[in-house]
Amino acid sequence: MESYVGKNIPRNDGYDKATGRGKFTHDIFLPHMLYAKVLRSPYAHAKVTSIDTSEAEKLKGVRAVCTFENTTNKLFNTSASVVTTNPGAEPVRDQTVFTGEPKYIGDEIAAVAADTEKIAEEAVKLIKVEYEELPYVLDPLEALKDDAPDVQPELAHKKNICGEVIEINFGDVKEGFEEAEEVVEAFVKLPRVKQAQMETHAAVASYKGDGTLEVYSTTQTPHPTKMIIAYTFDLPESKVHVKNPPYVGGGFGVRIGISGKAEIIATALTLKAKRPVKYVYTREEDFIASDTRHGGYLKGRLGAKKDGTFVALDTTAWLNTGAYATFGVELLGVCGACGTAGTYHVPNLHYSGYPVYTNQQTAGAFRGFGTPQGTFIVETLVDAMAKKLGMDPIELRKMNTMREEDKNWFPFSVGSVGINECLDRAAEEIGWKEKRGKCKEGKIRRGVGIACGTHVSNAAPFCVDYNAVTLRIEQDGSMVVQSGIPEIGPGSTTALLQVTADEMGIDFDKITMQYGDTKAGPFDIGSHATRTLYTVSQVIDKAAKKLKADIFDYTAELMKMEREGMKLEGGVITSGEKSISIKALAYEAHLRGKQFIVSECLVPPNSLPWYAQAAEVEVDMETGMVKVLKVAAAHDVGKVVNPRLAEGQIEGGVIQGVGYACREEMTYVDNKGFYNNGFHKYMLPTADDVPEIVPILVESNDPKGIYGIKGIGEVGVCPTAPAIVSAVEDATGIRFYEIPMTPGRVLKAIKEKEKA
Amino acid sequence: MSEILKCIINDEEIEALVDPDMRLVDFLRERMQLTGTKIGCKKGECGACTIIMDGKAVNSCMVPVMRASGSVIQTIEGVEKNGRLHIIQEEFINKGAIQCGFCTPGMIMSSKALLDKNPSPTSDEVKEALGGNICRCTGYRKIEEAVLSAAKRLREEV
Ligand code: FES
Ligand code: FES
Repeated sequence: MESYVGKNIPRNDGYDKATGRGKFTHDIFLPHMLYAKVLRSPYAHAKVTSIDTSEAEKLKGVRAVCTFENTTNKLFNTSASVVTTNPGAEPVRDQTVFTGEPKYIGDEIAAVAADTEKIAEEAVKLIKVEYEELPYVLDPLEALKDDAPDVQPELAHKKNICGEVIEINFGDVKEGFEEAEEVVEAFVKLPRVKQAQMETHAAVASYKGDGTLEVYSTTQTPHPTKMIIAYTFDLPESKVHVKNPPYVGGGFGVRIGISGKAEIIATALTLKAKRPVKYVYTREEDFIASDTRHGGYLKGRLGAKKDGTFVALDTTAWLNTGAYATFGVELLGVCGACGTAGTYHVPNLHYSGYPVYTNQQTAGAFRGFGTPQGTFIVETLVDAMAKKLGMDPIELRKMNTMREEDKNWFPFSVGSVGINECLDRAAEEIGWKEKRGKCKEGKIRRGVGIACGTHVSNAAPFCVDYNAVTLRIEQDGSMVVQSGIPEIGPGSTTALLQVTADEMGIDFDKITMQYGDTKAGPFDIGSHATRTLYTVSQVIDKAAKKLKADIFDYTAELMKMEREGMKLEGGVITSGEKSISIKALAYEAHLRGKQFIVSECLVPPNSLPWYAQAAEVEVDMETGMVKVLKVAAAHDVGKVVNPRLAEGQIEGGVIQGVGYACREEMTYVDNKGFYNNGFHKYMLPTADDVPEIVPILVESNDPKGIYGIKGIGEVGVCPTAPAIVSAVEDATGIRFYEIPMTPGRVLKAIKEKEKA
Repeated sequence: MSEILKCIINDEEIEALVDPDMRLVDFLRERMQLTGTKIGCKKGECGACTIIMDGKAVNSCMVPVMRASGSVIQTIEGVEKNGRLHIIQEEFINKGAIQCGFCTPGMIMSSKALLDKNPSPTSDEVKEALGGNICRCTGYRKIEEAVLSAAKRLREEV
């Protein structure tokens, strides 16, 4: 029997995408369609004292003008957190469609739908608004001070804290530090960075005569998006149809829930205009008015015995979540759970995570979801400890990393652990033994560094996470998988068919997936939390078993075949000497009024994907330029379903990590907002900046996922920055506690070191 | 205020009445329904809108539509010939150079413009030719691999 799992099957959307035939939301043009433009606040915090839309409404071609005065002001949250908060806890709802009290530069005041984009743009300029400026706060540490302006006075949990302060306690951290023989401390500052997915946020919403709402969308989570839209506009969820067309130009977390506010604003306008409305974010809007990665500050203390055994770890994060929560609370949770508490077996742990409101644009989900920040502080501390103890950083890590049998803070078992193998293989690939700690001199200095960690393979049990699929056999024996997941780029819809083909014993090219559409399949949370392949493969496995049982029962009876030992392989059902193809059987069943169809639902367990990356850098001591030469990226992904797709996830993640470490940063200019409003002002890595990346796939065969699969989507980015920082320290003797390590920052540090 | 645009797009002669304020990319996407050409920034900074115009890779978002008068244009839709994928397209698929696919048409057009002129590019020449095309998904390595491998196959074919 041909097996598909483990093979480089070319992705099934390759043809569509290579020929330009594949449709994205940007490509949707509907008859009678209008175009939307949005009026945004020029102030970080203000009150609208008057708004006059009459001139705009008079302009020829303008069909609807929506403001906070004529649109629902029901509180909601653009992130999926609002529909995935566990029972018993209240999700944060702190946003409205438009606002009369803008809380950041870019906040939405009003929107226009018109016959053309140009008319809509002109109309926006004709809206007269008067503002009263209000005091604002931009920095999370400032925002926590008693006299700081309140960003969300009615909704904040405590002074400018959204949701709650996240606390993680394990063992007794005070006692742990009393036991410690060596203690190291660190304080780090991390930048706000942007997902910069290539397709900007977009939606085309059409309110139909039959009371249904159809929304083409760039979302990563069609079903939760449907729920948020239905909730906000008081529509029955059954009448809201959200779909990708089917392709989505990247995501990386930025559209888990609503894409910026595209779906919500297009819906407000179509409800008023009763015509389809298309709203495509400009690149500038995408940059300055949608979620970013959380920047902010973290501090930590690590205590160890003289032999290197970790005994206590205490960390705190103050991250800037901006004017609205979006994913603030959950992200601070993951920062603590995976980033700080996940990697090492430390018997005494404490973490506090502060999601802090400020008058800046929102920060939310971006590949890694808090884990890169948490990993950064912990790996900084571990390197410092290695130095203090005079130990090899890899040896110190390996003696403290989590083991299968370790009790730990996670509310589930550790599962298989390939982290030490990752450390060894990354080290070997980078040439650790020959290169680390070798005396560096001269203008160009080379160094190597390493970092490691873990993440999750879905959001359960921290948040609501489950999914359902329907599997059905068509009348000719071919097969359809219906699922609510999107395809945002990783190739999940190819890998999942590889799994289905093996599970069912039906050829890969006879199976089709219907996805990216709330009508295509039953509920699924969507593509986030490194979950799609891991969780959907499990529910497919569950449904496939049931489907096969149904097929076998039917075959046994109809064909008078022995049920015991019946198999389906390569599209043929056999039992003993007898056989029948699934094609013939499905048609025979059809003639007798029977179709094989099964729906299943599953709450997944959770598995920990482990990783270690080693980096080699070259630092120009005269220009301060850090060049990343190579990243050896070893990832324990449990079981590899499609090596090329898996490598693609790792390489894409690593390059985002290289950007995080060396180039990317959103910088805020007082009274103007974020300076980075386009690609030319935001230093993304390009083809020229790519180091050699060596993905190393480690298969630890996890006992929880089927085939041993764990998640892979987010992990590529998680350890890259601390590995590069460690390599720069090896090259220059300077440890950076702030990234990105731009030439300016590096040069300054070199000069300071020379002076000292 | 409309003007008549005459040009050749994907081997077909086109004559159309256009608003001269329009950018070529909008003419292609909205009037010609050639939505394979993407818009990532509309400021000449990302390469998603790359087409081949008179043999050169250009960002069609920066071209006023009337500048296309008399020119020969190829978009991603014109790369596949007689139902057969171009070798560059095949290699993008085979080598895993495609993820979300939004940068892909632009990447393929920049690659094609390069290989049309230079059948044996070095790795640095490929990087340079793709320097204006942003991909946020792949990390570029598999794209470079696809282009080099396509070049090799194209050389073998002639
Ligand atoms: S859309 Fe033309 S360069 Fe970005
Ligand atoms: S494949 Fe997504 S931007 Fe290149």
